[in-house]
Amino acid sequence: MSDFEFTQEPIDAAGLACPLALDSAGGFATFEGRVREVNEGRVVTALEYEAYEALAIAEGERIVTEAIRRYGALRARCVHRLGKLKVGEVAVWVGVAAPHRAEAFAACRAIIDEIKHWLPIWKKEQYADGDSGWVNCGHAVRTPSQFDYSRQLALPEVGEAGQARLAQSSVLVIGAGGLGCAVLAALAGSGVGRLTVVDHDTVQPANLHRQPLYAVADIGRPKAEAAAERLSAYNPTVRVDALVRRFDDGNSAKLVEATDVVVDCTDNFASKFLVNDAAMRAGVPAVLASVYQYEGQLQVVRADRGGSCLRCQWPEATRDGLVGNCEQAGVLGPVPAVLGQLQAMEVLKLLLGLPGQLRDELLLVDLLESSQRRLAAPRNPDCAGRCVRVDAAVRTAPAAELDVTLPLASAAAAGYRIVDIREPMECEFEPMPVAGHESVPLGRLLDGELVVKPDVPYLLVCAHGVRSRAAAEFLRARGHANVWSLRGGLAAQGD
Amino acid sequence: MPRLHLHYYALLREQAGIQAETVDTAASTPLGLYSELAARHRFRLPASQLRVAVNAAFSDWDRTLADGDEVVFIPPVAGG
Repeated sequence: MSDFEFTQEPIDAAGLACPLALDSAGGFATFEGRVREVNEGRVVTALEYEAYEALAIAEGERIVTEAIRRYGALRARCVHRLGKLKVGEVAVWVGVAAPHRAEAFAACRAIIDEIKHWLPIWKKEQYADGDSGWVNCGHAVRTPSQFDYSRQLALPEVGEAGQARLAQSSVLVIGAGGLGCAVLAALAGSGVGRLTVVDHDTVQPANLHRQPLYAVADIGRPKAEAAAERLSAYNPTVRVDALVRRFDDGNSAKLVEATDVVVDCTDNFASKFLVNDAAMRAGVPAVLASVYQYEGQLQVVRADRGGSCLRCQWPEATRDGLVGNCEQAGVLGPVPAVLGQLQAMEVLKLLLGLPGQLRDELLLVDLLESSQRRLAAPRNPDCAGRCVRVDAAVRTAPAAELDVTLPLASAAAAGYRIVDIREPMECEFEPMPVAGHESVPLGRLLDGELVVKPDVPYLLVCAHGVRSRAAAEFLRARGHANVWSLRGGLAAQGD
Repeated sequence: MPRLHLHYYALLREQAGIQAETVDTAASTPLGLYSELAARHRFRLPASQLRVAVNAAFSDWDRTLADGDEVVFIPPVAGG
């Protein structure tokens, strides 16, 4: 059985679905494209499909295989009718079996979209008035660009020369969340020739309020891919490459070296330090930003000019979990949008050589107060990384070496000393399900209030396992090897 | 006793419940000042996790504070 086939016979949906009934598939999604009675205002009575079969089959198989891989589906197939069809008949059928519904829907959607877009299939429409006409089913042929930069060309600092410089520039954007959406939209609009977006996540319903590149229909899709698609439609003259993967030790150097500016739009310190370090090593300018509720921080790291870096500002072992991200602390949509636009502005200043560039400074933006504060942040001679070398203390240990997954009752029975590091109010709201634990809120733990005995294993517990992980790393870095974090925190105990 | 103008950001603003205040203090350094404030506002982050800026420039924790100084406490933030 091939994953993509043509057939002259009417499509038997039930028969096609049989090989997709897998015990491991919790979700099965199908799509049927049918002959409609009206197309572009004309009444259609019948259709005739023709394809360049050899090419279409090879391309169709590639599309199905790629969708299975990308969305983690188990099996998928697509069958397209050829020859004459009547109104109401099924012209194309797609079926996807996947572990869960999200992957099944996403892969099914991707397959039909790609098939419609790329396959060399034509249809001859038979109209009620006796007329007929051939229609290309795909949309791969693009119309010439109508994107007009005249309003920005009118700026004396931009002009034709500046616009040409933007068209030849390449910008790497790490993270396609709230900051990333704003940065990408602004840079695509200004005509930066090549944008590369790196993000391993998929679109979640809770992202939408502050990430307007995505629609409800994109839920479950990889962000990088959905963003690239939206931006390409917005401005087809810009090339947008989507990398659905983590920005990590393995790829950071190569990606950063190939770009003119790197923009950090990530939501965690581990990634921010990684962007900073790769930029410092490659001598590529980096524009970093972070948001918190109604505020943001912005810093331009001029690795190409011997400027100060992120580690100059945060030389202590700054860790994820000590302060909240958007999920834990909450955020209003315009906050990342404003900070992301400020990042895009700094990128354009760099690429166009505009005045007023931030350098060796930290910009604090408070959107409740409507205030900005520019703090001088010169290069720190004691920079833990000497601005290039990585500070080993900050590097995060792999989760497997810190996290443990087990019911709290079993942990107590196994001899773990259980420490609740939540705040008193949280403990009152949701008491620990086991007795005999110690309660030391995170701040007091960081101040050294937890006395760690050497021969006893410690299990740190918080609500979701993020703060406890940071606390475990903190204690490990101080030589306490037998300290662990409860994976997923109390929230995961019911699972 | 120096009178100082203070600004709080992010987690500290949230915990203090205010964005700014003016205080008269016996503390002579940012570190002493922060200990005073941490007790009053129940700040949970230790000073080692923060940066302090005095008069619009990052500062050491042990510099001497003068009357009229503007002191800003900045916690790291990572949201995106």
